[in-house]
Amino acid sequence: MESNGNGTSVLVIGAGVAGIEASLLLANSGAKVYLAEKASYFGGNVIKWEEVFPNMECATCMIAPKQQELLQNENIELLTLSQVEAVQGSVGDFTVKVKKKARYVDLENCIGCNECFEPCPVEVDNEFEEGLSKRKAIYIPCAGALPNAPVIDTDNCLRFKGEDCQLCQEACMFEAIDYTQQDEELELKVGAIVVATGFKTFDLTQTPQYGYKKLNNVYSIVEVERICASNGPTEGQIILQNGEAPKSVAIIHCVGREEKGYCSSVCCMASIKQAHFLKNKLPTVKVSQLYSDLCVPGRIYQKFYEEVKKSGVDFIRATVSEVTQQGIGLAIKYKTEDGEESTLNVDMLILAPAIEPEIGSSKLAEVLAIPQDEYGFFSEEEPDLDSVGTSREGIFIAGCAQSPKDIPDTVAEAEATVGKILSLSR
Amino acid sequence: MAKKIGVYVCECGNNIADNVDIDRVIEAISPLRDVAVVEKYRLLCSEDGKEYLKQSIKDHELTHLVVAACSPKQHEHTFMSVCEAANFNPYLFQMANIREQCAWVTQDKEEATDKAIRQIAAAIARVAYHEALEKRDIDVSPDVLIIGGGIAGIKAAQVLAAPDRKVYLVEKGSSLGGKVKGFDKLFTKMESGSVLIKNELKELQEDENIEVFTDSEVEQILGFFGNFEIKVVRKAANEELDFNVGAVVLATGFDLMDPKGLTQYGHGKLDDVYTSLEFEEMNFSTRKVLLKNGKPPESVAIIHCVGRENKGYCSKVCCMYSLKFARMLKVQLPKVKVSQLYSDLCIPGKAYQKFYEETKGLGVEFVRAEKTNVTQNGKSMTLKYESETGTKGDLAVDMVILVPAMEPSSDTNKFAEMLGIPMDDEGFPAQEHQKLAPVASSVEGVFVVGCAQGPKNISESIVQSEAAAGKILSSLVPGRKLELEVKTSEISETFCTGCKTCISVCPYSAISFDDFRKISVVNEALCHGCGVCAAACPSGAASVKNFAFTQIYQEVEALLK
Amino acid sequence: MGEEFAPRIVGFLCNWCSYAGADLAGATKQKVPSSLSVIKVMCSGRVEPALMATAYLRGADGVLLAGCHPGDCHYREGNYYARRRFALLEKTMETLGLEPERLMLAWVSASEGQRFGEVTNLFTEQIRQMGPSPLKKALL
Repeated sequence: MESNGNGTSVLVIGAGVAGIEASLLLANSGAKVYLAEKASYFGGNVIKWEEVFPNMECATCMIAPKQQELLQNENIELLTLSQVEAVQGSVGDFTVKVKKKARYVDLENCIGCNECFEPCPVEVDNEFEEGLSKRKAIYIPCAGALPNAPVIDTDNCLRFKGEDCQLCQEACMFEAIDYTQQDEELELKVGAIVVATGFKTFDLTQTPQYGYKKLNNVYSIVEVERICASNGPTEGQIILQNGEAPKSVAIIHCVGREEKGYCSSVCCMASIKQAHFLKNKLPTVKVSQLYSDLCVPGRIYQKFYEEVKKSGVDFIRATVSEVTQQGIGLAIKYKTEDGEESTLNVDMLILAPAIEPEIGSSKLAEVLAIPQDEYGFFSEEEPDLDSVGTSREGIFIAGCAQSPKDIPDTVAEAEATVGKILSLSR
Repeated sequence: MAKKIGVYVCECGNNIADNVDIDRVIEAISPLRDVAVVEKYRLLCSEDGKEYLKQSIKDHELTHLVVAACSPKQHEHTFMSVCEAANFNPYLFQMANIREQCAWVTQDKEEATDKAIRQIAAAIARVAYHEALEKRDIDVSPDVLIIGGGIAGIKAAQVLAAPDRKVYLVEKGSSLGGKVKGFDKLFTKMESGSVLIKNELKELQEDENIEVFTDSEVEQILGFFGNFEIKVVRKAANEELDFNVGAVVLATGFDLMDPKGLTQYGHGKLDDVYTSLEFEEMNFSTRKVLLKNGKPPESVAIIHCVGRENKGYCSKVCCMYSLKFARMLKVQLPKVKVSQLYSDLCIPGKAYQKFYEETKGLGVEFVRAEKTNVTQNGKSMTLKYESETGTKGDLAVDMVILVPAMEPSSDTNKFAEMLGIPMDDEGFPAQEHQKLAPVASSVEGVFVVGCAQGPKNISESIVQSEAAAGKILSSLVPGRKLELEVKTSEISETFCTGCKTCISVCPYSAISFDDFRKISVVNEALCHGCGVCAAACPSGAASVKNFAFTQIYQEVEALLK
Repeated sequence: MGEEFAPRIVGFLCNWCSYAGADLAGATKQKVPSSLSVIKVMCSGRVEPALMATAYLRGADGVLLAGCHPGDCHYREGNYYARRRFALLEKTMETLGLEPERLMLAWVSASEGQRFGEVTNLFTEQIRQMGPSPLKKALL
């Protein structure tokens, strides 16, 4: 879409679903948008999911048109591998310093053919795939990631560690690999800033009683999302560590809730979604969900829960005390509300972790000089009234950066920041 | 005029060139009808490539263009810009995908070459039948109509109004403020709702770009996004006002489900069984919580999820405001016993669990219960319940507060119908997209916010109002025309028989019937170009620009030669 | 000496899901039968039975219609119409004795590159088993 250049320019930090929505709306109004994303790809957490609840729509298909629109929009400058280092000034006149790390791949020349991966001799865990598969030192995190161009991981790349390796460059037909690229320091002048840095999940090793990373076949829900993903490490096949499909699965809700002190809003629904997905893929699988309070708020979620329950998924209100290995399976000891203790034996255990602010939030809060609350989320201007403003005029927050929430609420907040920004310039 | 089709085959470095014999491709397509020039190029999407293409189009005075390269989803947009730069109509252009869907998926080079030739031949045959299409735009009004003067409507008005954008706020009641103005306390800061409204209204009244209509109703809404024609009636004066707006925001709020039908709770029969709104009202008007006999209650039960089973959804905010009630009671009557009967505690988000724990710390009892019923027992009441495991229990209470489900208000239903917004299974107006477009309704330019859209708390309602404002401010820019979809459907007046089949299938209600000419007419401002009408039309009158039967047929024929 | 019969299949793919899925099949280097030819439409709902029948009558050995999964249509309902029309076409073909098995309706999402490969290979093999379209003789 052509811009009429209304003079407004905005920095959006974080290119997940909130950042994408805010950027598109702002750009379509004629504003210039700098979209800074610290990863080499954009789409945030949503592109990790196979399907979203409750309509079980394909997540990547859902967001792909928006991503395409964003890449083609002349008003939006997508800055991947970029982080905000300093912010000065005030609303209408911020000066922002952004550090853009070198990709070592020329985005103009690279056509995304992936030929450079094969010759690379280095193999490390793929973080996007939650460590369930490997990637090379020059890589694209997953098939379909955008922009469709790899990045060189200088921590693991032999050349950047001092060796004389140029196998990727030799394999490239388009002269797209450029080892001489440098990190850049960009100085941007913007009128407003939107913080949409999303979330990460609670570190499940902090609740060792559930056996994460200790026992076999205990997964976090994010790992299971990648296992279920058709573009993931198992191409959508749901398998245990021994390669077989599970016959019985348990999903434990609220892991980390006690430690964090709040309800993460979406985990019950995400867990129910997993159960639904599992039953569809493996019709004879037995799924049990262990939860304390079922959180299915709003007009559309309860129906989904009821359908899943009807399909034979067991919902057990319980507190789990311990998970132990039983042969190749797992034994989950739990107590129901009437005090009765039981044990559930399953092949696979999925843990639904709490949602936390994304890594680097504290540093960013400092840079932006906006407060964080006691949980590390960015503080909204007025709790219960203004969720998207902050104490610093011209800086807005949206999505899980502010508090855990689902996609519709995240998108609404992103749109709300646009409403406030565009009404500022009256 | 003789056609001159230019065909450019991109090698895509080695990506295509390695797997497709480009020279054989050129040989095969050069003799095809109307092909004036066939060239190959190493990388057409590069700056050099684009410059070369632009120059070549001009030099050869081409009438049509085919680019055989990667997927159109990658670079159709790029090459259309090149066309524009060459003063060449970008719609007389077609791409052939010989990379993703040919070179990259075919092992045998001969087969890949054959396939490439076929797909390019299809593009050539098709493009000869393309029409030159022009971008069109229409004038729009940047003004906005907001229906409903509660907190959502008020906030939307504040964010939207500007010297170049008028906002009309229509409220059927005599004053603005909706339900919130009657709330003495709001969770979690326990501050006054009426003071909040007072402050918001002050800001509103000072804004001369907001025209407020109270005691007024919206009688009629005609038109479409960018051009709605509104009729408002001021009831008392019986005065009618007509004006145009570009967008409509529906903020007509909620009603509580009437619990009288759920006789187990005794509402309407027993003296001291109140709904939450009744309790709010009592507290607000008298600042005192008293029973019907004039005495303060000694023990209060708050029953959550009343009517939830009937409705089939969770009303999201009730657990929190039940906690709020507990606090209000404890502040006013420190010795009162408060019991909360609930099934699942719904306190999502970072702030609410703390509120719950503090409330619990005040000595409020939480009982997980179902099958609750309330009966009179002498001067007070007995509340009987069962736990999930079947254990029975009872409580002696002198006041019961029922927390009923939240429904869309009757006005919400009325306006949804007037605007042609279908309702979802729960009775709320359907959203454009459940996840990615929560405040936009399925009717373009009409937004539904606040509790009219679904049960939610005040901050969420405000966010939705601001979100609708964001969408409106982004698309309806004062002085800027609205660009329309180019490849829209068109209905031939000659062939249309007036059967209205197209109207019945259009997902966007973009087709209307012209009663005078007895034909269907496409509103290009609403048409998205999906082609469902073209496929449905029995007489072939409906056709999508550049996706006409004749054009697609050319592809079929060329592919099967 | 006869060459192995390579079924000529015409596929109508919708812009938003199935065409994108076919592209992803390419990006992930799946194997897709080279005898498949693709026509891109904006929505599977654009494809009227007459178009598919025309492809068949012009000599296609098989005709594929691919769209977004039900519920995911970019234009809300287009694929539901596609589904209904396809069922009608199948029935009509059956009534006329024209081997409705030569038609296939598939839902392929934009992230299902592998599935696109599977579907097209399966369909091609199916048609190969059936042999060339009986209409071809009539056309020659």
